Amino acid sequence: MSIRVDRLTKSFRTRDKQEGLAGSWRALWKPEWRQVPAIRDISFRMERGEALGFIGPNGAGKSTTIKILCGILHPDSGAAEVLGQVPWQDRQRLCYEIGSVFGQRPQLWYHLPPVDSFHVYGAIYGLDRDATRRRVDFLVDVFELQHFLHTPVRKLSLGQRMRCEVAVSLLHAPKLLLLDEPSIGLDIVAKQRIRDTIRYMRDEEGVGVLLTSHDAGDIEALCSRVIVISDGQLIFDDTMDELKRRHLTAKQVNVRYLEEGERSLPMAGVETVAASRYGMQIRFDPRTVGVDAVISGLHGLGSMVDITISDPDLENIIGTIYAENALDPDAA
Amino acid sequence: MERKQGLGFVGALWRVNLLSAMEYRVPFIMQLGGMMLNNVIYFAFWVLFFDRFEEVQGWTLRDMMLLFAVVASGLGLAMMLFGNCRAIARIVAAGDLDRYLALPRPVLLHVLASRSSVPSMGDFVFGLIWFVLAGDVTAAHALRFLLAVVLSACTFTASLVLANSLVFWLRRSELLADHFLNAMITFSLYPGTLFNGAARVFLFTVVPAGLTGALPVEMLRDFDAATLGWLCAGTAVLAAFALLAFQVGLRRYESGSAIVVRI
Repeated sequence: MSIRVDRLTKSFRTRDKQEGLAGSWRALWKPEWRQVPAIRDISFRMERGEALGFIGPNGAGKSTTIKILCGILHPDSGAAEVLGQVPWQDRQRLCYEIGSVFGQRPQLWYHLPPVDSFHVYGAIYGLDRDATRRRVDFLVDVFELQHFLHTPVRKLSLGQRMRCEVAVSLLHAPKLLLLDEPSIGLDIVAKQRIRDTIRYMRDEEGVGVLLTSHDAGDIEALCSRVIVISDGQLIFDDTMDELKRRHLTAKQVNVRYLEEGERSLPMAGVETVAASRYGMQIRFDPRTVGVDAVISGLHGLGSMVDITISDPDLENIIGTIYAENALDPDAA
Repeated sequence: MERKQGLGFVGALWRVNLLSAMEYRVPFIMQLGGMMLNNVIYFAFWVLFFDRFEEVQGWTLRDMMLLFAVVASGLGLAMMLFGNCRAIARIVAAGDLDRYLALPRPVLLHVLASRSSVPSMGDFVFGLIWFVLAGDVTAAHALRFLLAVVLSACTFTASLVLANSLVFWLRRSELLADHFLNAMITFSLYPGTLFNGAARVFLFTVVPAGLTGALPVEMLRDFDAATLGWLCAGTAVLAAFALLAFQVGLRRYESGSAIVVRI
């Protein structure tokens, strides 16, 4: 077992303040404190070498959970073991076994080239010079860092910098990688490269991956199992296939016609998402409307030149889960 | 993978701090020279003062030179090796302790050694020059001076860690910590014999500036084991309190989501 979490709970004490100067004055003399729960009774397991996705809206408790699992935060109650150790009690020993990347908290020295940071982290992880050099050479190859290894970090693109961040977290050959929003702010090409290299390290070295991301594409590309957390509570814990099966309640059809014209498909259970002069996009629930009925209905609207039927992407599925739980995805 | 558990990582941090500071050549030289010039100008006041008065309650211009030498080199050494001792409150308030907690080393030592202040290198060099200019550069005196500088540096570091650790309880104490450092420097640079009674107690407890300036100079002027003993004991007690305050406070750390780059 890589991670075992039982009924983990953590809350933060925060001060409420009314708006304006009067509010600040009142809060100065008579502060009103409130306990805000960050995570509530969370339990889950993760096997060694598994890739687990952790999804949730802002403020859901993803980062808090990861920080507890790294030993950064102490929980209020509950139990947790990471690689057989209690993170907040055995933090130092555990840190030799895990790697972590916090997308919003760079680890590299801003004014120095990545190679200097690699050597400092080698010393921090207690590796000797030769071992560090061998490992850096390997990671430089895998992450394709050759062209900017000696360029100051401040001059790197966000994508290049993030590749270095993930590479440095793997310097000590950890058994488990905890990634908190590693693709934040990256363009699609940079995201793809990060995903490919993480997948490679997972397959090559058997590194377990616990990944939080707002980008459902990251989770879909890397993880076989997914946990959805919302408002501090675990609301889904199963395989990616099960997530899709359970929440894949709509199919999407894009169709293009030979002739120009205004078209609509007045069928119960069919919703027109978009329409143009030569085509349209519709959505329907295959449990209530037959696919063949929809196709023949579309066929009746004109001579078709192209048609695609697809499942909604993971982003939409997650949106549906949040909606079912009546939660605001932007709630902080 | 084989691992070394020693303190070699501290040397690696100091090296990278120096590399980072030297990345910008001109600012590096200007800050170094600027701090030395600043100290010279500050000391000019005492030269004018002692031009009119031969001594202040037993302290002469030479004693003041030794005081400036010990305090400048002590503070310079503390900030060169443990430059983050004055920034802990800011680091904690910004939630930036995460990056140290996610690594397998003692948090406080790692935090302290992760920054070296360039102007403080100027302070350190200024102190050495002032010690030489004060005269009596025998091997024994130089050894005592180095001991005084190291103890002064330890006291500066420990008392700043203690003051900055208040952030764990107050949540925002950056300004308080800055004022504390200013008070430490200001009170360190007065002749020790100026203060008596409650003021002297204050300078060895609340703002322990007596341990960073006056007492080390007393040890330099008339060396005796008792003064050295008091100095070592005071430094050790402060260090123990600092360590305790940081470790207890660390349990209250709440992290944060501010975006902070590593300079």
